[in-house]
Amino acid sequence: MRKKNKNMTYSSSIAVNRQNYSRKNQNAVSFRSREKVLGPVSNTIILVVLACLLGLLYLTQVTKTNSYGSKAYSLQQQQSKLQNQYNDLEVASAQLQSLNNVQNSPVSKNLVPSTPSTTINN
Amino acid sequence: MNNSDKRYDFKAVRNINIIYWIMLVVMGIFMIRLFYVQVIKYDFYKKSALSDQLQQSKIPATRGLIEAHQGNQIIPVVLNQQLFTLYADPSLVKNPQSASEKLVSIMGGSYDDILAKLKTPKTRYVVLAKKISQDQSDKIISLKIPGLGTVGQDYRVYPQQELASQILGFVNNDGQGTYGIEQALNDELAGTPGYLKAITDINGVPLAASKDNIEIAPTDGKNLVLTLDIAIQKQLEDIIKNAAVQEKSPLVSAVVMDVNSGAVKAMANYPTYNPSNYFDVTNPGVFNNAAISNAIEPGSIMKTLTAAAALDQNVIQDNTTYNDPAHWIIDGFNITNIEEDGGAGVKSVEDVLNLSLNTGATWMLMQMGGGEVNQKARQAWYGYMTNHFKLGSSTGIEQGYDSPGIVPKPNIPNQSGDQQDLNYANTSFGQGLTVTAVQMASALSSIVNGGKYYRPYLTDGVIDAQGNVAYNKPKLIDSNVVSSKTSNSMVSLLQQVVTKHYQSGFSYLNFPSNYVVGGKTGTAQIANPKGGYLENEYNGTYLGFVGGDKPQYAIAIFVTTPTVNGYAGSYAAQPIFGSIVHMLINESFVSPKGS
Repeated sequence: MRKKNKNMTYSSSIAVNRQNYSRKNQNAVSFRSREKVLGPVSNTIILVVLACLLGLLYLTQVTKTNSYGSKAYSLQQQQSKLQNQYNDLEVASAQLQSLNNVQNSPVSKNLVPSTPSTTINN
Repeated sequence: MNNSDKRYDFKAVRNINIIYWIMLVVMGIFMIRLFYVQVIKYDFYKKSALSDQLQQSKIPATRGLIEAHQGNQIIPVVLNQQLFTLYADPSLVKNPQSASEKLVSIMGGSYDDILAKLKTPKTRYVVLAKKISQDQSDKIISLKIPGLGTVGQDYRVYPQQELASQILGFVNNDGQGTYGIEQALNDELAGTPGYLKAITDINGVPLAASKDNIEIAPTDGKNLVLTLDIAIQKQLEDIIKNAAVQEKSPLVSAVVMDVNSGAVKAMANYPTYNPSNYFDVTNPGVFNNAAISNAIEPGSIMKTLTAAAALDQNVIQDNTTYNDPAHWIIDGFNITNIEEDGGAGVKSVEDVLNLSLNTGATWMLMQMGGGEVNQKARQAWYGYMTNHFKLGSSTGIEQGYDSPGIVPKPNIPNQSGDQQDLNYANTSFGQGLTVTAVQMASALSSIVNGGKYYRPYLTDGVIDAQGNVAYNKPKLIDSNVVSSKTSNSMVSLLQQVVTKHYQSGFSYLNFPSNYVVGGKTGTAQIANPKGGYLENEYNGTYLGFVGGDKPQYAIAIFVTTPTVNGYAGSYAAQPIFGSIVHMLINESFVSPKGS
């Protein structure tokens, strides 16, 4: 009897399997299962593909979420810029309406001082 | 199967086994390496990765704005504005000439200066310009000149320039409020900064999918509304500036306070400064709000308080007369009056205030002690000065450096009888103690409003994010400073003082009769640091009020060492009082009688 190889490899396992179906006076075809079963290779490949698909799905979702983050960040920057512009306008408005500015305006300079018409002394 | 086929199979199996083992060894090496990298060196690589990806920073809170009244409107007096600092790394700027030309075309300035900075050797950082606008910053960044960058910074902006600068204070480079309300209410104005911790992409944009991101939003500072009316404030500043220049005074302070609430409507000092350029100030003394931090001997305006205390104790009446000897000997020292007061004779309480008699004030103090200046008189007067008029302690107004002033104790341990009576006689006419202008305005308010002492205050309210104003209520500290009878008597007596002064030739005290105006001058000697008092140097003070049916505003004025012909109180401080009252009446800040 042939010494059994302790290191069973994939190809050797196929060979041993085949030997079981090719004994004398046995019709291998008649013993072949009618049911179609996926082999270990196919199973492994499918699992790998599924894992890859799941990974891809995860990456897609993460990228999508991060792109929203980027959009939100960009909007925040825009809001900040608009707020700064608003502040600038508010400052300009306050400066234009400041008492010094009003006092030095041409309209103010053309005003004539007046005194109360009815002053009764103590 | 023949032998060659068997050999072929054997060889194939052997080769597969060899490849299998090689792969196993390689996988093993990978796993060991991965174990080393991911487990043993976990901390090192995590730290290294995070240093590139993790952004941790404080999110600064926006400092609260400060606003004030302008009639019925509320307008900003302190705003925030983000401006930018333009910096460069000269070693990265390839063509400094071209860069300088482009920068000058955007932000102006000197081409030579910018070029010189861009050519600075042995440095990686030079500031090319400060406080450039966002528009200018955007244009410069869009040039994409290597080595140039801008960084934004919030600045406080003062649209009214110098107006109320000493009340406002400023924010220093460390973001700390310094002097004025910026210092006193720094915590309320500053708010609480937020915190950002986020994994970022290569551009520094936080990745939304990271579960470790932390973002705590900042709490912005509160917006404050001051009690100041900037129209009164502006004119008060103009009045005291003109007076300081004319009278050659190094420091003039004035306070206008609502007697019925303690709200400060205007408070000014001259000289002053522009808080936008606080770093250019050479004399840091101008940062002080002298009206609350500069405690001086007030002089004869103190007689107003002495008279009120004596009337309130019922030891004198408003029509009481006495025989004034024109001098008193107290602790061996002679207390006299100025020559113009007419010498010895029968005098009234009104004369004491109108002629500003030191002997009269001392006589009032004597009445508190049963006829002489003694421990009873000292205790009683001390009680009025500190407990009733709140002198000798800080007012609590929302300002940095709120001075308490000094009121001498009525009994100094181990010095019993050692000139204590003289010291106390001096306090009765405003020497030997120190007070601030705001303390005196608060004390007068309590005397003329019926006896209610309100804590002086500057913050009228707080504005929320929707712009709603939550107004502060006046804080009544003491409702029995003096009786209403004493209050009425004092209003009448001080009115008489103004009338008599007008009749004696101070024509500018010609106020319309449908207003009530009263006051008292003070000319104070100045303590010599070497002992005694300075010769020929005096401070002028004035304490008065104006109103319609009843007093509406208390006014305190301190003029330091003016150069005038005559007594500093009458010729330096009193004209300022006259101008302020005319301004308040003419511009309808005071409601006339019957309105």
